[in-house]
Parts: sequence; structure tokens; C-alpha cells
Amino acid sequence: MTFNRIERSLSRRTFLKGTAAVSAALSGFPIPAIAQSSEVTIISAESNANTAEVLRRIAADFQKAAGTKVVVNNMDHEADKTAIRNYLVAGAPDVCFWFSGNRMRAFVTRGLFDDISDVFEKEKYADVLGATAGSVTVDGKQYGLPTGGTLWGMFYRKDVFDEHGLTAPASWEEFLAFGEKCKSANLTPVAMGTKDLWPAAGWFDQMNLRINGLDKHFALMNGEMAYTDETLKPVFDHWEELIKQGFFTPDHTSFGWQEAGAFLAQKRAGMMNLGAFVRAAFPQQDLPQLTFAPFPVIDDGLGRYEEFSLNSVHIPANAKNKSGAREFLTHFYKPENLAAYLEPGGNVPPRNDLPASKDPLVNAAVESLKAVAGTSQFYDRDTDPDMAQAGLVGFQEFMARPERRDAILQRLEGTRRRIFKL
Amino acid sequence: MTSLWRRHRWWLTPTLLILPGAVLFAVVILASSVQSLWISLHDWDGFGPMVWIGLGNYRELMDDPQFYVSLKNNVIWLVMFMLAPPIGLAIALLVNQKIKGMRLVKSMFFIPLVLASVAVGVVFTWVYTPEFGLLALIFRAFGANAPALLSDEHFVTFAIVVAALWSQIAFCMVLYLAGLNNLSEELIGAGRVDGARGWNMLRHIVLPQLTQVTFIAIAVTVVGALRSFDMISVMTRGGPFGSSSVLAYQMFEQSIFSYRFGYGAAIASVLFVIMAVFITWYLTRIIRAEERGA
Repeated sequence: MTFNRIERSLSRRTFLKGTAAVSAALSGFPIPAIAQSSEVTIISAESNANTAEVLRRIAADFQKAAGTKVVVNNMDHEADKTAIRNYLVAGAPDVCFWFSGNRMRAFVTRGLFDDISDVFEKEKYADVLGATAGSVTVDGKQYGLPTGGTLWGMFYRKDVFDEHGLTAPASWEEFLAFGEKCKSANLTPVAMGTKDLWPAAGWFDQMNLRINGLDKHFALMNGEMAYTDETLKPVFDHWEELIKQGFFTPDHTSFGWQEAGAFLAQKRAGMMNLGAFVRAAFPQQDLPQLTFAPFPVIDDGLGRYEEFSLNSVHIPANAKNKSGAREFLTHFYKPENLAAYLEPGGNVPPRNDLPASKDPLVNAAVESLKAVAGTSQFYDRDTDPDMAQAGLVGFQEFMARPERRDAILQRLEGTRRRIFKL
Repeated sequence: MTSLWRRHRWWLTPTLLILPGAVLFAVVILASSVQSLWISLHDWDGFGPMVWIGLGNYRELMDDPQFYVSLKNNVIWLVMFMLAPPIGLAIALLVNQKIKGMRLVKSMFFIPLVLASVAVGVVFTWVYTPEFGLLALIFRAFGANAPALLSDEHFVTFAIVVAALWSQIAFCMVLYLAGLNNLSEELIGAGRVDGARGWNMLRHIVLPQLTQVTFIAIAVTVVGALRSFDMISVMTRGGPFGSSSVLAYQMFEQSIFSYRFGYGAAIASVLFVIMAVFITWYLTRIIRAEERGA
């Protein structure tokens, strides 16, 4: 009997406690719900801490000026590439960063990015963007804003080159000679890390652009040319020559690009094919030593085609606060804000009305781009994502096991036929 | 009302008790399994319309060399993971001794169980890194060059399994430690009177009492081996060139990176069949053991 009474009084007390908690929760809930409509959430994936900091500052300025709460969630760069496929469908932020070109198109065709042609129209972005506007345009409509570009090239340290009497190779013969010189100086000629797969594909792009040119490269990217096509043979012949001569970091499949970049920074490698973001692997005091040269010319008869990948910023179609997101984008895209955002990463500005950068590498890239006959973005940005996944694995395998070339190309050709429905 | 309840409670009570579990099982396991099977018969990118292709995905799977690599790796995982129960038992017997300082040793063996498997994966990746990893440093101390384990298509799976085994052994050890605490003192005493000691004591008196624990340890280990995914994702992403992939990882890669949910679902279905074979065997053994016990 007593036991029962104690239990009942206890349960009444817990019940009261429970009601209090529930009512508190109920009265508490509507407040964040109201706040949410005037809140802008941003998902970014900046691996450079300084860039992330600038983005937060721009967001804070906007919050102060517009009175809209801004939340910036910075994710790990590689993890974001996977996560975006989830969050665009379920739980989209109001603004997210991504990559222009074919990668953007994959989400546009699936209706996951918002058409922001109205912002383009209102702010007259077409006038200041010029050719780069094409990278965010699908069927005449704009689905994002290009944020910054990466011009790919052969990066190296000036002091290492001086020390060993090296010069940036301009032709294939010079490149082979450069490799010999590096090896006798105990340097790996080219730092390479293929754990994340894509650096090998970047190398393929460079070789294919130099040997077959832009049109044939895009024929391959669009699935119009076979991977077993004869025109690709010299590309893999040249590549195999380099592999056999030990041009690349041994066991490159164990290293990510950051670790390979560290080999360059630690003066253990001659050059590295990457964008200016390789600076992330360099200590601050060594940055002035970093410079780049274009990939060596292989066929003199071809125009100079380079890889120029443009990142971009978008409003997901499932965003909750699209008007707030548009206001933020306009604020973010002001020349002074965009310039500040691009500064730490050393990215090339897409707008032509930005002041010259303090960074000599950026100005060199802007200059270099003026002499370029045409650009591709990157293997996994230019071709179908399904094809890209197979290609990235195939190129990694080729770099580790060049003797399997035929089997790899047969496999890629099978994948191409399946994807492009031939 | 009460009479109605009284008349029907012989079947109402168990039904009501089973209902929550049954509903959850139906929604979370059955419905999604059926849906997976359904998706595996389509060509689907995860967003757009689903196109019926019948057994097309399965036919492609049979010709996919990557599928056989993944399957082979699953077998390697399964076989190597079978080391976990005996090693776990050996360590449990060791740390179960009443020796001073054994508590410390026990907690050291217990540590990997506390760590997230992703953390274990990252740590082992560092250990295996050529040139500056712990393994490379140890080899260098002996004047040798460490092999780049995670770059070698033949060793890579073994290297990952070793990392995964570390925590699996700890798990089996904990299971056996619990089992050792429940040994019947009377049986051991009786055995001692009959002169059993050492190996005979272990083989004929201790082990028979641990049959149930062993059974659970093996079951958990098999399931753990078949669903291995996180370590591979962290340590190699299935690489180099797919040589360390397993079915679970290939399914993830195909669905998420290549946007091929139909193909991914087909791989999942094959994995499901493999698991189902084991689970059927496991259940029949449990039922038989219970019948014998009752």
C-alpha cells in the first residue's frame, strides 16, 4: 500500500516536471521558427582557414547591415563533395558553394539549383563577367555566380631551381632533361599524390590538351570519342615514358595532394601540377619562393589550351530563404568583398573590375590567361560524373600499373558506351 | 469489458508486447529491403525518373571485374576476422588472472573499443604512411624500407583488416571476460577434485560453459566483417584503383559518386543474400540449441 502511494506521488511529480518541460519547449519553439525565416544559412567548404575567416567576416558585415542572421557552416572540402548530394535534397542551406560547368549542370538538370537570372539581370553581372558567365549558364539561364578560378600549371620553388640550376621546361625534350637533372640532384621530378584520385586525371588533361588540343579533348569529355581511339595512344605513350623514368613520387597512391605538396615545400621534389591552392602546403615564410610555369609544349602546331576551373556559389532550389540568399549573394559579390574573399586562396577573379591583386601569383595567372587560346575546367568537372568516377580510378591505376593500359582503356570504353548509351 | 479482456488476454498480451518491435522491424527492415530490391531492377540516378531494366543491373554485375574484387575482399575480411574470437579468448584468459596490475593491462586491451572506428582508421593510416609513418620509422631503424602497404593492391586489404581486428579482438575479449565471470564454481571445483588442470581444465570444463558466448562472438564478428565500410572509407576509399573495396563500399561508391542507385541496390541485394545465408544458419542453430535445452 505504502509502496503504491509513494509511486503515485512520484509519478505525479515527474508528470508535473514533464509538463513544465513540454510547455517550456512549446513556448520556446516558435521563437527559433520565426527567426529561421529571416536567417541565411551558408555551407562552405574552404580548406584555407584564412578564406573561411574572410567569408565569416563578410557574413558578419551583412548581418549588421541587413539585420539578417547569417550562419556559416564550413565543412571539410572532400566531405562536402559527398554531403552536398544529401543536403541539396533534404535540408538545403540558403547558399552553398560548388563548382561551375558540368558539375553544376548535374544539379541544374535535376532541379536542385535555383535559377538566379533575375539577380544577374538586376546587378548587370554579364557586363563584368564576360566569358566566365558561360560557366554558370545552362540554356540561357544563370544558376550561380563564379567565385574564383584556378589556373593549373607546373608549380615550383624558385630557390630550389636556383640551387640546382634548373629552368622551367618549355618543350618535351626540355622536360625529359629536367627530369634527369632532378634525379641526379636527388629530387623527385614531379610531386604526385593520387590518393584522392583526381591529380592523375589532371595530368591526363594536360597531356591530352597538349597533344590533341581542346576540340578533341571535349569530344572525349562529351562521350563522342572512344577511349580506345588511336589519337589517345601518344598521350599514354608519353605518360608511360615519364612513369617508366621515375618522374613521379613513388607510392603516390598513399598520398593526398597536401602530402605531395609538402614534398614540394620541403624541397624534395622539382615541380608539381596543381592550382595556386598548393600554397596551403607551404609555410608562410616560403610563399614568396612559389611560382609556376605552363605545362611544357608537346605539339608546336597546337594553340595554348589550359585548365581553368571556376568555383561558384549557388542558391539551392530547396532553400528556405531565397530572397535573403539573393541579398547575401549581391553583398558577397561586391568587388571589394569578392576581392577580399579571393585574396587568401590566390584564386583568379572572374569579375574584370577588381583591382590588381597584391599577390604576384594571381596577377601572373591573370596575365597568363590572356595568352590562352581556350580552356577546359578539369576532367571530373567536364565529363559526366559517372564517367569521371571510372576515369579517375582508371588513371590512378595506369599511373601505378602502366602495363595494364589496354585493359584499363577497354574498361573505360565499356563505361563510356553504357553512360552515353551507344 | 473485463470479461472480454479476460477471455482474450491469452493472445492479446503477447500480441501487444510484440507489436512495437514488429512494426519497427516491418518499416525499418522489411519495407526498405523490399524497396531496395525494387530499386535494383531499375536504372535510377537517385533524383530523376526510374527506368525499368529488369535484371540488367545483375547481368552487368556478373561481368563487372570490380564486383569480384570486392567479393574476394569480403572473403578476406571474413576469414581474417575469424581470428578475433580465439585471440579475444586468449587475452581474456590472460587478463582474468588475479595478478597485481592486471586491471591496468585489462583497460589497455579495452581501449580500442572506446575509440571510434574512424579514429582507429586515421591512426593506422598514419602508421602505414610511407617515409614518415611509424611502420616506416621502425623498418628504418633496422635499415630496411617499409612496404607502402596502402599502395599495394595485394596487401592493402590485409593492412586494413589488421586495423579493424584491433578493436574486434577487444570486443571479443570483453564478451569472454563476462562469460568467464559466470563460470560455475562448482563445476570447476569438481573438475579440480578429479585432477583436471591446465589444458584439460580449459578444454573440458571451461570451454563448454562458454559455448553461448562463443556463438555470440562469432555471429557479431561475421556481421562485423560483412558490413565493413568505415575503415575502408577512411583509410583508402577503396583504393588503390578499387583493390581494397568491399561490397558495402562499392555499393556506396556506385550510388553516391556515380549516381547509380539501381546498380548500388543490386550490390546491396547480393550482400543481403550472403548475410541471409549466414543468418539462417545462425537462427537454425539457436533454435536447435534452445530445443535441446528445453
